Amino acid sequence: MNHAATSSALTPEIIAAEKADWRLAWLSTVDHKRIGILYLLFALLFFVVGGLEALFIRLQLAVPNNTLVSPDTFNALFTMHGTTMIFLVAMPAVFGFANYLIPLMIGARDMAFPRLNALSLWIIPLGGALLHFSVFTDVPKAGWFAYPPLSSRAYSTSLGVDYWIVALLVLGIGSVATAVNIIVTVFTMRAPGMTLKRMPLFVWINTVASFIVVFALPVLNAGLVMLLMDRQLGTNFFLAREGGSPVLWQHIFWAFGHPEVYILALPAFAMISEIVPVFSRKPIFGYEFVVGSSVAIGFLSFGVWAHHMFTVGLGHTADLFFAIASMLIAIPTGVKVLNWSATMFRGRVITTVPMMYAIAFLLQFTLGGLSGVTHASPALDWQTKNSYYLVAHFHYVIVGGVVFALLGAVTYWFPKMTGRMLDERLGKWTFWLMVLGFNGTFMIQHYLGFIGMPRRVYTYPDFEHWGWMNFVSTVGACLMGVAALTLVFNMLRSLRRGAVAGDNPWNAWTLEWATSSPPPVHNFDALPPIRGRRPLWDVANPDRPDPKIGDDAVRSPDRLKSSMWTLIASEAAFFGTLLIVFAYFNVQPRPGPNASNSLDLFTTGIFSVCLFASSFTLWRAEVAEARGSRGGFIGWLGFTIALGAVFMGGQAFEYWELYRHGVDVTANLFASSFYLVTGFHGLHVIGGLIAMGIVLGLAMAGDFRERRSPLVAIGLYWHFVDIVWVAVLATVYVLPRIL
Amino acid sequence: MNAFGSMLAGPWNWNPLVLGGCALATFGLAVKYGGRVRWGWWAATVAVVLLALVSPLDALASGVLFSAHMTQHILLLLIAPALVLLALPRDLRSGGARRGRWPAALGWTAGIGAMWFWHVPALCDAAAMNGAVRAMQTLSLLGAGFLFWSPILFPDERRWLGPAAGIVYLFTACVACTALGILLTLTPVEVCPAFGPGAAHAARWTALREVVGFERDRQIGGLLMWVPMCSVYVAAILFELNRWFGGQRAVEEKVP
Repeated sequence: MNHAATSSALTPEIIAAEKADWRLAWLSTVDHKRIGILYLLFALLFFVVGGLEALFIRLQLAVPNNTLVSPDTFNALFTMHGTTMIFLVAMPAVFGFANYLIPLMIGARDMAFPRLNALSLWIIPLGGALLHFSVFTDVPKAGWFAYPPLSSRAYSTSLGVDYWIVALLVLGIGSVATAVNIIVTVFTMRAPGMTLKRMPLFVWINTVASFIVVFALPVLNAGLVMLLMDRQLGTNFFLAREGGSPVLWQHIFWAFGHPEVYILALPAFAMISEIVPVFSRKPIFGYEFVVGSSVAIGFLSFGVWAHHMFTVGLGHTADLFFAIASMLIAIPTGVKVLNWSATMFRGRVITTVPMMYAIAFLLQFTLGGLSGVTHASPALDWQTKNSYYLVAHFHYVIVGGVVFALLGAVTYWFPKMTGRMLDERLGKWTFWLMVLGFNGTFMIQHYLGFIGMPRRVYTYPDFEHWGWMNFVSTVGACLMGVAALTLVFNMLRSLRRGAVAGDNPWNAWTLEWATSSPPPVHNFDALPPIRGRRPLWDVANPDRPDPKIGDDAVRSPDRLKSSMWTLIASEAAFFGTLLIVFAYFNVQPRPGPNASNSLDLFTTGIFSVCLFASSFTLWRAEVAEARGSRGGFIGWLGFTIALGAVFMGGQAFEYWELYRHGVDVTANLFASSFYLVTGFHGLHVIGGLIAMGIVLGLAMAGDFRERRSPLVAIGLYWHFVDIVWVAVLATVYVLPRIL
Repeated sequence: MNAFGSMLAGPWNWNPLVLGGCALATFGLAVKYGGRVRWGWWAATVAVVLLALVSPLDALASGVLFSAHMTQHILLLLIAPALVLLALPRDLRSGGARRGRWPAALGWTAGIGAMWFWHVPALCDAAAMNGAVRAMQTLSLLGAGFLFWSPILFPDERRWLGPAAGIVYLFTACVACTALGILLTLTPVEVCPAFGPGAAHAARWTALREVVGFERDRQIGGLLMWVPMCSVYVAAILFELNRWFGGQRAVEEKVP
């Protein structure tokens, strides 16, 4: 497949216009490949920012009693470094690869929702700008997990933490949109023959990671909203006075934070699972086990967050349960390490640069995993928590693991993305500098932690050994900086005069190598037959193809409905968190206003009937549309909107009555949690009303004569909002009266 | 004798109804299916039922320790019914195609509803103290558990849920248990006053109750519902995945 042939699908005018206006073409792109590359470029940009922050941290700590930066600046540096690296570097980078590769690997033309894809992408610079806008007021200094009371108004007086919250909220919503898009793409856009059992492991594992995003990010968003309410509205969710609970923030943060580790680690596993077999010249050992262990990790990751809180004082009993659960999750991770090792065993291992990164990943990630298991033991955790041993542990996982996998992926797929090979010699220099720099920085921090150096101190006295160990660590960090520069230099040089890659420079077997490098806008002119897990192996070896896997039928559910169901799952996690928070604060009635003395069940019940009835009328509208009755469709839809509006009027009346009697959002924790839960439900009702209003307006203007309206999807959403109200009614209004 | 020693040496409840029921069920299975029964699984079933209802666990669950009550609950609702289904002959066909799939909504509601229903404070108390209510609780837990597991574990594959639906079924069950478990663990909610500080109990348990402590007892109960119960569901999810991948092997063999 050469360029002339593949680009023939585009008219010459479009190609010329794209060339002339290439800036606009990239800014307005909805092509998953360009969006993927833009994700990676944003990740690179913020990597420079976060990397410089890290270098300043290390330079300040290079020698005892250093005064390079002030204590305040140091706090700002580690807060911004952590936040930037997680939310603006690692997540965009893994999303970038998923975006670029998943449609290619499953033989699709693009992602399921290209414009939503562009929106999620541009949310990244928006979130980054919001976070860094705090430079003009005051940078957040409460650490990347912003524990109250440090992050409360009393101790973080400037707007820094507020910018941090808003940035994370925005990024969180963008991430959920990306995850929904990935999931729907995988389930509805696969090429003929690309069954789930034949899907590349990269796609499988990224899908599992996307499910984690869908369920974990809403939990963080719920917590962030509450923190913002504490700071801006004066509520006390996370302040010990008036019965609030700082520990609740920790639960919420880590209920997100631990799955987040796997949101980053699983895509790293995904990359390694593609690189290792290709350069061992063997199919992956135990495909089913890699998939199964990924799914197991996905579920278990939600059940172990409390191991971040052993030092909080949950009690020995809780510690014991979560110690066991945490050790359990090491099993599926260990299974994978064995899969990759067994794939290399007796393979023809070719030590290209990507493979070298994969092997380094294997060793370093295993080390990080092992020190992780030590943290699963509460007794050990108490000794090493918040010491440099912990810093060393999670950097072995995130840098030694995730970043090395990303570097492997960059070097592996760069030829596909650009059509040019990277220089192998220079690449090996980068690799060894990186290995030396990384292990130099963090290996010694294990010992520093053991001899008592706490994390997040801006300087330290001249204790025995502390000085030289820290200096070694700083030298290592600088080496990593040099390695990063050589990588960027290598990429820039290759873009200009690298060897031409051709379609499949590595003799790999997945579909992204079955098209030109870089691929044309429409990805494929023709797909090879897909009957197993390595379609290109079958093409190259017609005399000894892989065994056929399963049957050929690909089931593709409806795109709109799938996306709505995925969104609903995410929203359910959000409302579930809010309802648990409500129950947490209200299982015992509070003094002052509470559910029994302030809420009028009867009036609310009447308005609720309106909301429930609107589900019925909306269903009638769907039926009318299916029968082709435009009048019925418009009438029932208008009736639905009216019923929803009556419900909202009822809620406004209820709020007004409460407010009139002095029950405002700061009255007590009942009031705060009541407004939190019902307010968010109300916002969702309004969202549904707007969506239905748009459909109604379009229908009245004459649209939807030729095509179906999106009412089926909106209807799912509306029924969901009603079901949430059933749960709210039960938890907020009814249960407190019974118990 | 220390507190935990007294727990192990505690009274064994040789309840003739339980023993007779086990014997009768064994006899019935032997007559109806004979050698087709998977007797290993059946032995495990009987062992679990005896552990739950005959061993000292039963005495502890009668108003002494909430955590013992929760253990009994899990054994009866989650473990024993699953083992029964695994013990049934693999070639059992109960008019499969005609009867269609097991109603998943019913199974889910029964399985999760039983867990929530029996933790309404008044009912939980009644079951802990009153023998008749207790018997009803035991039977309803076993029945609900059977309904819950049938769409996943019933021998006839035509009556299973599909793999994707099965995973959603188990995952949502896990979420529902987690929600209750979190509340029991992290809040001072009192679902079963019979196990609380004011309740009367035999003098032999005083030491044990003091060692465990009421707070911690409730916390263990919540944690049991949260962590081990969910682990069972996650294990079942992996079982589903394994079966789905295994199904492919069957197809593979057909290809020459």
